[in-house]
Amino acid sequence: MAGAAAERKVIRVLLVEDEEIHRVLARALLRSAVGGVELDEAGTGAEAVRRVRDGGAGAYDLIITDGKMPVMDGHEIRAMGVTTPIVGLSSDTLPPDVDTFIKAGADDFTPKPLSKEKLVRILAKFNLA
Amino acid sequence: MSAANQLAALIANMFATGLLDDQFQQLQMLQDPSAPNFVSEVVTLFCHDGERIIGELAKLLDKPTVDFDRVDAFVHQLKGSSASVGALKVKNTCIQFREFCQQKSKDGCLKTLETVRINFYELRGKFQTMLQLERQVNGFPPNN
Repeated sequence: MAGAAAERKVIRVLLVEDEEIHRVLARALLRSAVGGVELDEAGTGAEAVRRVRDGGAGAYDLIITDGKMPVMDGHEIRAMGVTTPIVGLSSDTLPPDVDTFIKAGADDFTPKPLSKEKLVRILAKFNLA
Repeated sequence: MSAANQLAALIANMFATGLLDDQFQQLQMLQDPSAPNFVSEVVTLFCHDGERIIGELAKLLDKPTVDFDRVDAFVHQLKGSSASVGALKVKNTCIQFREFCQQKSKDGCLKTLETVRINFYELRGKFQTMLQLERQVNGFPPNN
């Protein structure tokens, strides 16, 4: 996955978030923190799964997802067969909240609000920076 | 005092009185020529969301039987947007609010809702002044 991104020289990130204020912040951070990032957005877990399936293998290099959303939570995305690296993003940060994401198949977790530092760490972790 | 000085003094005061935290500085740093209205956009979203959520919370807590899960969900939402804009006082009040939701305490929730309302509208007023001053600094007349 990381090799494919390097060849494309563009990192494709899917942000799964139902609230506009968090999407606006994420857009600005991705624009500012890293060059060559294409951001797609989905408002529910179900829409995220649809985008991944429609995009084909390797459609995204990373999915950053909120937890609780209408229709389908971010926690349910992995269970729908998505293999892309997933990072949970939530303002619920107690150990049980983080465990919920990890047990549901997320590869990492970062607390809201997203920041430049957190984003750089995440992208480096998955060899996308 | 020039609009620029008034703006700087207002923002400094908002930090000094605990209304804002470092996250607001992060927003300011994200504003650049490619996104000249970024702070205004985020602040406006927060103000609209906050007003809507407070209204929903008031309705839910006015019912004879309170659905604390729904109340908690709205408070969670307000906490998240407060954190994203750097609204420290509102965010901290939301943390207390959620504890009363967990305890299923209607009285606690009602009292904390009032505190949230006060803190939110105090911040909203200052944000509105901030945006007006920014308009003046950028050479636009204030909105009426």
